[in-house]
Amino acid sequence: MDDSVVITGTGLVCSIGRSGPEVWKAVLSGRHGIQPVTGFETWESGCRYAAVVTGLNPADMGIRPRDARIMDKHSCMLLKCSRDAFITSRLDHAPFAKEDIGFFAGMGMVDYKIEDLVPAIAKSMNEQGDLDYDVFYSGAYREIYPLWPLAMLNNISLCQTAIHLDVRGENVVFSPHADSGAQAIVEGIRSIVEQRSNVVLACGVSENVSPISLARGHLFGVLNTSTNEGELICQPFASGRKGTVLGEGCGVLALEMCSSADKRGIPYSTKITGYGFSCDPGEDNTCASSSAIASGMRIALERAALRPSDIDLIIANGDGTYHADRNEIEAINNVFADCIGNVRVFSSKGSLGHLFAAAPVVDIILGMFIIDQELIPATILEAPTDDSVMFNVVNGRPLEIKVQRIMINCQSYEGQCASLILEDVKTRSRSAVSLL
Amino acid sequence: MACFCSGRKEDILAFFYPGERTKVTNKPGKRRVVITGYGMITPLGKNTQETFENATKGISGIDYITSFDTRGLPYRIGGQVKESWLEGLEDETAHRFDKFSSRGLRLMRIATMEAVRHAKLDEIEDRERIGVSLGSHGDNPPVKDIMFLQRFYRGDGHWDIKGLLQTGGYSYFQFFRRKPDVGTSILSKLFLCKGSSFSIVSACAAGAQAIGEAYRAIQEGRADVMLAGGCEATLDFSGVIGFVLIRALAEKYATPQKASRPFDRKRSGFVMSEGAGVVILEELEHARSRNIPIQGEVLGYGSSADAYRITDTHPQGEGAVLAMSGALEDASLKPEDIDYINAHGTSTIQNDLVETRAIKRLFGTRAKDIPVSSNKSMLGHSIAAAGAIECILTLLGIRYSIILPTINYEFRDPKCDLDYVPNEARCREVRRALSNAFGFGGQNACLCIGRFEG
Repeated sequence: MDDSVVITGTGLVCSIGRSGPEVWKAVLSGRHGIQPVTGFETWESGCRYAAVVTGLNPADMGIRPRDARIMDKHSCMLLKCSRDAFITSRLDHAPFAKEDIGFFAGMGMVDYKIEDLVPAIAKSMNEQGDLDYDVFYSGAYREIYPLWPLAMLNNISLCQTAIHLDVRGENVVFSPHADSGAQAIVEGIRSIVEQRSNVVLACGVSENVSPISLARGHLFGVLNTSTNEGELICQPFASGRKGTVLGEGCGVLALEMCSSADKRGIPYSTKITGYGFSCDPGEDNTCASSSAIASGMRIALERAALRPSDIDLIIANGDGTYHADRNEIEAINNVFADCIGNVRVFSSKGSLGHLFAAAPVVDIILGMFIIDQELIPATILEAPTDDSVMFNVVNGRPLEIKVQRIMINCQSYEGQCASLILEDVKTRSRSAVSLL
Repeated sequence: MACFCSGRKEDILAFFYPGERTKVTNKPGKRRVVITGYGMITPLGKNTQETFENATKGISGIDYITSFDTRGLPYRIGGQVKESWLEGLEDETAHRFDKFSSRGLRLMRIATMEAVRHAKLDEIEDRERIGVSLGSHGDNPPVKDIMFLQRFYRGDGHWDIKGLLQTGGYSYFQFFRRKPDVGTSILSKLFLCKGSSFSIVSACAAGAQAIGEAYRAIQEGRADVMLAGGCEATLDFSGVIGFVLIRALAEKYATPQKASRPFDRKRSGFVMSEGAGVVILEELEHARSRNIPIQGEVLGYGSSADAYRITDTHPQGEGAVLAMSGALEDASLKPEDIDYINAHGTSTIQNDLVETRAIKRLFGTRAKDIPVSSNKSMLGHSIAAAGAIECILTLLGIRYSIILPTINYEFRDPKCDLDYVPNEARCREVRRALSNAFGFGGQNACLCIGRFEG
């Protein structure tokens, strides 16, 4: 077998599970984690649903209260999933120096917590309603926790996790959308292939669902604000689709050359063999153009030395928004034109919500289960698919079929897009050396 | 200490971790990445040449902050880009993006225009082979917005978002100004870059990592050209009080111009500033094919994590050593090949001491012979932009055989005892240099920049 980059460990947390097997079981059974938002007040014209992770407690992970003060949900999810990936890939017993473990993350937006400043500001307001700086700095500022600025840094979750796991190798934090998760995976692969790291943790972390993130999604025009009771909130590729929904989650992959995994006796079943990126905001400026998506897909196929007909399944970006789905439909129809009738497509977003930076990593983990168990889950979909869809969206019930090669698509709302190719290790690559 | 003098990563790691371990080596035959253009806007100048000339003269760009009311603040200085420069330099066609643009992005657009002109990027036809790599954190909300927003906060995490939006008093574009990818998207659109595009948010290491990741993208063949750099414009109320709270800023100074004093015994913290810097990285043969003058070469890039504490750097500079040695190894160079180090040199007691220790650990007895200077003594600390700006200044130093000074070096610190090029620029040939960038939380990056030698 060629020396490919394989996946030796995973960590996953989202609204319907705290581990890969748990989430897989839930997705397979048709469950979704999209519920009415209860943690704060939403408003009538906005989206009132989200797929939220609950019950993650830093204390349960052995985090000291002082450190927990600056750990929001980002950090908790990343730490939990990184630990799981560390353990499942037996990195805690690996003969690698900590400097040879790389750490690459795609991080969702870390929103500014103005509410942390408000008590101090409110205490400093004078009778005219202006901020009295003298009052603020003579004492009112003490209402703010001193390490608050650090909690606002986009990279702090990676740094905190690196401290807990003592990981010191190459690292970078990309942000904030789905393409950043793909970027983290690819940079991790390159780091291994070019022998700058022996093993890499490649991660994607979603935004936290908050009033600010909901407001941003709403104003961007991508969220489903429908109030029809009983209607599914996120229906990828459906005719009359009305938008996406925010989801919280994190996925982590432990990546390693298969020769290194063999030497350590670590089992693996999948490898990443191709990737492609492009950037072109569509005319409506809310997603990547169809030509950009197609370009990313073609580059990924070329890198993996595959033909479109070699792909058994596409795990689509499929987020249920009109424009992004439309452009992706057009791109898939175009790239897979010669075999479009045989193309199967699945999207996880109807189950998990849109996980942004975590989406491609979580989709890869789901892809691993699909390959292993020869089952494609059903996309959450009640309405008929869009008329322009020429491929087969797996819906209704899971499809039992052998799957060896999966393309995973992702895109941002700013025009960036990426495609990754996941393969069963038992497949023979057409190229003698896949990624080298 | 002999192992440190070798500079080889495996020797350094063997010292820290004796016993069996796997050797990490470089792969041969990598594509070469050269620099064909650059641009910047900083407190010292509205373009690269002006900044470099003023820095050569040892001029400080630090002064009292005028962009917001600092009365009562224990910290009232910073490195500001003159507002008049922005108005004079912005392209009319780019104004359509103003409503989406943070101040940092406006600075980045100006710097990128200079770089794109310099590299004649418009001549390149295949735009799908040109990407963007940007280190950026977006804007902080201004004081008036915080004051406005707090009226709609009901406590305990509950906001009256509907009321907020209905008043019309809070622009909905504010929700996007902190998004790091808005910058890459706008730059991609403005400058027709349709290739790989990414945003990096690694705090003070972001600008250097953006250049490093762009360099990697070209090396592996994902792009032929990359716009790479960083921007920062968080010299505002919320940005400043954040660092005041962690007591990281210089609060004791005779004059604003004297406040940033890296490696000096009387240093008391860093000085915040703003700015933007961008380089045009290009694959060598691609640059040759279009006969574009080559300004220099990126020889190597290294990164590491301290994995120590959120609030402190590793006291022995382990992470810094790894980043610098990683850059050397990537460049297939040894410590004795380095003629100059552009330090991170923030003027904090901790960073300057730790960086000095790290340089000594890596370079051994030769450390005292290598000039080490900090541009932050004149420019202040522009966080995500710093690594990019300093990379360009390093490059210009190589081109013009000038080593920029560390100004305000007046009182020797016995624990910081290297040659910091005190107060005056020095004429000296530099073939290869390292440029350091160490971020909050412990992310470290180092670029190895060299003269292009064919």
